[in-house]
Formats: sequence, structure tokens, C-alpha cells
Amino acid sequence: MDAHAQAFWLPKSGSTDSEYEDAFFPRRIKRRKGQRLRFAIADGATETSFSGVWARLLVSAFVRRALGFDFAPEQLDPMRTKWERIVHGKSLPWYAEEKLASGAYSSLLGVEFWQEESEGQVKRLWRAAASGDSCLVQVRSDAIVAAFPITESASFTSRPDLLSSLPATNGTSPFIANTEGQWGCDDTFFLMTDAMACWFLKEGEAGGHPWAILRDLDTEAETSFSALIDSLRRECVIKNDDVTLIRIDIHG
Amino acid sequence: MAYSAEISRGNPSCLAFLIDQSGSMNDPFGAGEGNQKKADGVADAINRLLQNLVIKCAKEEGIRDYFHISVIGYGARVGPAFAGALSGRQLVPISEVGNSPARVEQRNKKVPDGAGGLVDQQVRFPVWFEPIANGGTPMRQALGEAKTIVEGWLNQHPNCFPPIVINITDGESTDGDPLPASEEIRKLKSNDGEVLLFNVHLSSQRAAAVEYPASETGLPDQFAQQLFRMSSALPSYMVDIAKKEGMNVGEGSRGFVFNADMVAVIKFLDIGTRPSALR
Repeated sequence: MDAHAQAFWLPKSGSTDSEYEDAFFPRRIKRRKGQRLRFAIADGATETSFSGVWARLLVSAFVRRALGFDFAPEQLDPMRTKWERIVHGKSLPWYAEEKLASGAYSSLLGVEFWQEESEGQVKRLWRAAASGDSCLVQVRSDAIVAAFPITESASFTSRPDLLSSLPATNGTSPFIANTEGQWGCDDTFFLMTDAMACWFLKEGEAGGHPWAILRDLDTEAETSFSALIDSLRRECVIKNDDVTLIRIDIHG
Repeated sequence: MAYSAEISRGNPSCLAFLIDQSGSMNDPFGAGEGNQKKADGVADAINRLLQNLVIKCAKEEGIRDYFHISVIGYGARVGPAFAGALSGRQLVPISEVGNSPARVEQRNKKVPDGAGGLVDQQVRFPVWFEPIANGGTPMRQALGEAKTIVEGWLNQHPNCFPPIVINITDGESTDGDPLPASEEIRKLKSNDGEVLLFNVHLSSQRAAAVEYPASETGLPDQFAQQLFRMSSALPSYMVDIAKKEGMNVGEGSRGFVFNADMVAVIKFLDIGTRPSALR
């Protein structure tokens, strides 16, 4: 099995690259081969501090298989300790200290692809887990086959359930959604943080083909990602937020 | 749709606080329980509101200027009421507010111990205002001052999220009926909606706290009823958020509280993703 994955990202308009708080893997265009392939995307919350650090730790843990599909507290705890180590120990002004006490929050969406053979039949399978509003959409033959964990654009809010860097907050029972499905050789998977996912689903609901626009990004047809997002922001059809997309084409 | 403008450093909004510093603020608060004077209650209310606002805008690199803040005191005089380094300033970016409290106190705060109990934790509590109680209650003049400041802001920021004016008082104006002046403020608008005027009524009455009522029926006195009438209705998006926070609000709820704080309003301001579990 091999996969071709390409990531695209852009900070919120008016913010610098260093203020971008999404996280994703793989970081660059990548052709990946393997028995089981993992990809992940995360979105650190604007209203908490050091949330970009927390988002990166979560993505890294998932793709290294330090985190399973239940995002179990005992697997999150080492990430929390690591986050604490990174952000504490500095002398901070009063507001930064207070803010830090609330912890950082992030969404996380992880997916794994694999194949199984039984009785001469090849089964192509995928499985995903999510906390929050980062989304996966599977597209086949010009139609959406699956959207996860959010299926309608109207369901996005600015107050999602997210994973906390503090165990006392929601560490014992973080809200996790799981799903699984089968993939085909011509399928494309799109992993997106909320602003892009909301636009994608809304376009689809209106009869549009957003996947066709995203398939052509940065290929020979050459519509650059930043030009696309700039134009969507100008038309006010996408929220001004950090935007991240991973486009994955899987082959048997 | 109104009240949907982005609040960002490129498109900041404005919050104006009006603080009653009249002589009657020397009277006990809530019938004197805990010996707290109304002036102490007002100072605590404004310090807490500013603290929450600063924390909301804080990120690891510092405080982002999503808001500019004005604080007008009214009592023996009407004018800018910041203490310390910001003294005399009329409109201050939130980053400067956060970095320039008059002093920072150490206070105890109850925090979860992770095992279902609470423990005391020392926290730093910034103070921008000291309790002051002196003179009459020129609320009408203060509202006029707020109108001038907000009008100036709107001229420069026509597309901003509508400014919010929060008036903290014991309710009894001594320079005439404040209702027309409050209507003048509520008529002002940005391209995203009308300016919001909210009122916090701190009273000596031994009456139960009231939060965001939809009717003046049942309010404890004529001053509470007057302040209710002066207050804007909560925009529907705020009502939705307040309901999710478990607050008892509905269509027609006004931005008015009686013997209660208004810190929840800070949660209503949308500067980006806010985790549902964040308190």
C-alpha cells in the first residue's frame, strides 16, 4: 500500500506564521509506503495559550502510535507532562500565569489506513478518531462517501469540545468520536481544520464540487493554496482562521 | 447578520466602563453582609472584569489588542478613572491595561485538587481601581461622556463589532433622568449593529441577585426598573451562548444584573475558538 499526501496551511489573516496554531503530519509532500499508514491534524484553540505546542504534541503522539484510537488518559498524560515541561519554569507576567492555569486546548483527528487479505480477497480499511471539529472527508467518483466527525456545515460552532492539556479539566473522559470504513484505489481523503471543513461541507451541500478545486491545488493546473484562501476570505465564504488541509491519495 | 463582525487586532472593538464613585457608595453592599461597602463591590467588579478581559486576550507572546478600554468614573467629578500609570488616559489598548495595573495583590483562590475537593492557591490579583465614594451621582453626564468616546471610536472603526458600555452603579442618578442619555448611546451603531449598553446594579437592598431578566416585573425597586429600561436586549447569539453556559436567559433578556457580577459578558465576546470546557 502506498499513499501520496500533500499538506497546505496558512495562518489567520492578520497573524504571522509564528502565531499559526494548527498542527499536522506529514509536514511535507510525501509518498509513504507501509502496512499501516497514519495521518493526523489538530487545531489549537485561540482562547488558550501555548495551544499550538499542545496541538503539535498530540499530532506527533498519534502518528508515533503513542496514542491509540480512544485517546486514553494514560496515553495523554505523558503528552501533558511534556507540555508542562515546555511551558512552565519561566517567569511570567500575571496574566500569562493566570492563562496558563487554564491549560491549552486542541482538537485532534487521526486516521490509519491498512489492507487485509482473507480468503483471497483484499480488504482496504481505514479507521479514525476525533475530538473536536477537525474533519475528514472521503471522496469517490465525484461524491462524498464519508464525513467525520461533523457531517453538516451548520454543526460547526466556535465552542467545540477539545482535548485539554490539564488532566483535571476533561482528562478522565475526553469526548472522543470513532468511525471506520473501506477505501478504494481512486479515493481521495481530505483532512481539514474547522474553517476549511465548514467551507467544504457547505459547498458540497450547495451542489458544488469543492474536492475538484482542492485536487488541483499546486499541481500543473496551479491554483495556489494561499490564492484560493485569500479569495475565499475576500468573498467571506470562509471564516478567518488558521487553515490546514492534508490531501491523501491512497493506492493498493 | 448583526453582531458577527470579527474581533481581531486588525478590527478591534471598544469597551467603555462607567463607574459610580458617589458618596452613597459608602453604604453597605447587599445589606452589609461581610461588611463590604458598595464602593468595594464596584472596585472588585471593575477589577475583575478587566482581569478577565486581559486574560481573554493574553497569548504566550503577550496581550493582543482585540479591545480598547475606557473607564469613566462619576462622583465628585466625571472623567477617566484609571489609577496608577494609566491615570488620566481616556482610551487605552488592552495590552497597556494588562501591563499597567496600579498594583498587583496576592489573593487566595479555591481551585480543584484533582480528587474532587478544593484547595487554596495563591494568585496575583491586579488592581486598577481603588474604592472611591465622594459627591453626587452625575450618571447623565457620565453617559454623555461615554457617548462622545464611543462616537469617536465608531468614526475611526465603522466596521467594528459594536462597542459595549457597561455602567456599574447603585442606581440613583442625581443629575436628572438618565434614560434619554442611555437611548442616545443605544442609537449609535457600527456597520455590524447597535452599541450595547449594559447595567450592573449594586444595591444595599437585601434582595436576591437577578441576572439578565426579560421583564422589570419583580425587580426590587424603581432604580432597578430604571436601569433595566436603560439596558440593551442581549443579542440572540449571546442568549444562545448564555443558555449553553447554563444561565437562565431567553428572548428579550436584557444586559442588566442586580447585586451580581457581569463577568459572563466577557465569555460572550468571540475572539476565536473557545473550548466548551473552559470556565
